[in-house]
Amino acid sequence: MALKKTYLQQARHRWLSVKAGPYLAFFWQNPIGKWGVLLLITFGLMALASFFPPLIDPMYHPMTGVDPNISNVTPPAWNHWLGTDYMGRDLFSQLLTGARVAFMVGVSAAFMSIVFGTLVGMTAGYSGKLIDTLLMRAADMIMLLPTLLVVLLLSSFIGQLSIWTIVMLIAVFRWPGVARVIRSQTLSIKEKPFIDAARVAGASHFRILFRHILPNVLPMALLFMTFRVTSAIILEAVLAFLGFGDPGTVSWGMMLQWVWKTGNMFQAPYWLFPPGICISLITLSFYMIGRAMEEILDPRLRKEKIED
Amino acid sequence: MTMKYFFLKRIVEIIVIFFVIMTLFFLLFHFAPGDPVSRMVDPSMTHEDAAYMISQLGLDQPLFTRYGIYIKNFFQGNFGNSFHYGEPVIQIIGDRLPNTILLFTTSIVLSAFAGIFLGRITAWHKGKLIDTLGTILALVCHTLFLPWAALLIIWVFGYQIGWFPLGGILSPELWIQPETGYVAKALDVLYHMVLPLFTLCIIHFGSYMLIMRSSMLEVIGEDYILTARAKGLSNRQICNRHVAPNASLPVVTSVGLSLAFSVNGGALTEIIFSWPGIGRELIFAVTNNDYPLALASFLFISIVVLVSNFIVDIVYTYLDPRIQY
Repeated sequence: MALKKTYLQQARHRWLSVKAGPYLAFFWQNPIGKWGVLLLITFGLMALASFFPPLIDPMYHPMTGVDPNISNVTPPAWNHWLGTDYMGRDLFSQLLTGARVAFMVGVSAAFMSIVFGTLVGMTAGYSGKLIDTLLMRAADMIMLLPTLLVVLLLSSFIGQLSIWTIVMLIAVFRWPGVARVIRSQTLSIKEKPFIDAARVAGASHFRILFRHILPNVLPMALLFMTFRVTSAIILEAVLAFLGFGDPGTVSWGMMLQWVWKTGNMFQAPYWLFPPGICISLITLSFYMIGRAMEEILDPRLRKEKIED
Repeated sequence: MTMKYFFLKRIVEIIVIFFVIMTLFFLLFHFAPGDPVSRMVDPSMTHEDAAYMISQLGLDQPLFTRYGIYIKNFFQGNFGNSFHYGEPVIQIIGDRLPNTILLFTTSIVLSAFAGIFLGRITAWHKGKLIDTLGTILALVCHTLFLPWAALLIIWVFGYQIGWFPLGGILSPELWIQPETGYVAKALDVLYHMVLPLFTLCIIHFGSYMLIMRSSMLEVIGEDYILTARAKGLSNRQICNRHVAPNASLPVVTSVGLSLAFSVNGGALTEIIFSWPGIGRELIFAVTNNDYPLALASFLFISIVVLVSNFIVDIVYTYLDPRIQY
């Protein structure tokens, strides 16, 4: 009885009850993790700041606000910090709004694909046999497809994509990588004694999956979420860049599309540079955070030990 | 299991996957909201032409017959006519496919070699300045946003410095002249290919280099490297003969895994540099609602991905003699 209890306790809150302090400290000591977080905070502040410009003056609204005195591309000035686009809209407030859209798309698409991938991966790893083979074959096939081109082809059937359709499509095509990793983790966790203990204690498959396996694969799922966020942001930006974005929102990809399509690319570097730099840096920050998390999760990558 | 059996199995697998993709898109074509006839038959056609087209594509038949006709048409190279160009789709594809394959294969091979080369140097000088700089460079290149990098490269090399053309695959004024030789033509294409190739390599070499670097570091810790050192081999010999060949295997694997990703990048590069390839055609077709062309280009792009995946497998077995099937 005593044995069973310890195993179950171990299983239940193994991850959730771990003291996060040493891990956070380790994360912060890693320059990659630190700079990644700092960059991300900057973008978070940008996203928050995006609510203010339209309140100051309606002409700073990223989509509908047009400076009454300006009807063309203008370089940076005191009242337009980054200049204006071809309609006289403020580029700086568009850039701020872009941060908000990137976060929204990136986090929601990544979250959905992680949830889906984790469920599929756990089911495949836990049930084994035919279900495993079928699910993993499907995952392999989706991984072989060029996501961007599939989404483009689908968009020709769906028509104009809204931002949430884009999020859904990204989630649908980005789960296989997660599912593979979670499956292999599940396969090794399945053999641990505490799972046997739970089974002997009469836990149902559902309970074993969600109370005993899920907490143990969660860290890996979180790690993958940082990578998925970047791929979602990039995919949305690329779709917007090609002109398949949501016409109701401004994103960085759309700003790039405007500067490219209106032929202002060579004359207006102040318009060409900021959105591209922002997309690249936000990708970099999530990538760095992911790498730092990977070092915590994979002891082989660590240089020093965490004391806990 | 012999090697022959393994390759046979892979070929069967590829064919099955391709059929699944084809079937999925067939179903999508016929069950997505809207009328399948209007997707395959050009709205600007005369009534008789449209009727002929419908009967040829089997659009008046029940679903299963239609599927059979779809498969048969695929093997006969009959994809209908492009709405936008008014030409048979297969002709357009045949025209564009070589350009795509040229750019795609060169960029993958070049970026893999660049990644292996730089990863080798940085790992061998771990902790020194060159390692730090190289790793930062790889990280930055890896996270660059491809369309923006392409626009930037055009802006710098095509516009500010003006060394290279802004886009296209050839200079028409040169090709029109009958006396231009093959060498001059090939050089012209090469000249136009520099910038797109540069963009693709910059984007792709980063991840290969990071993989090469970490796998080099892993191999350096192996016992047989210590043996090599004890035998008195020079640093250079150890690096080139013992570490690098073993360490480059994960790079080959990752090339295979990232093929689909490279195709996305290839399509974007094609459209930005006006490179007349199949990816650009697909994006145009989607923009113009040119369904027959879009579907056919997509199927051919999947064939390119599947075949190159197979080639990567072959290269891998060739590089790693330890593999036993």
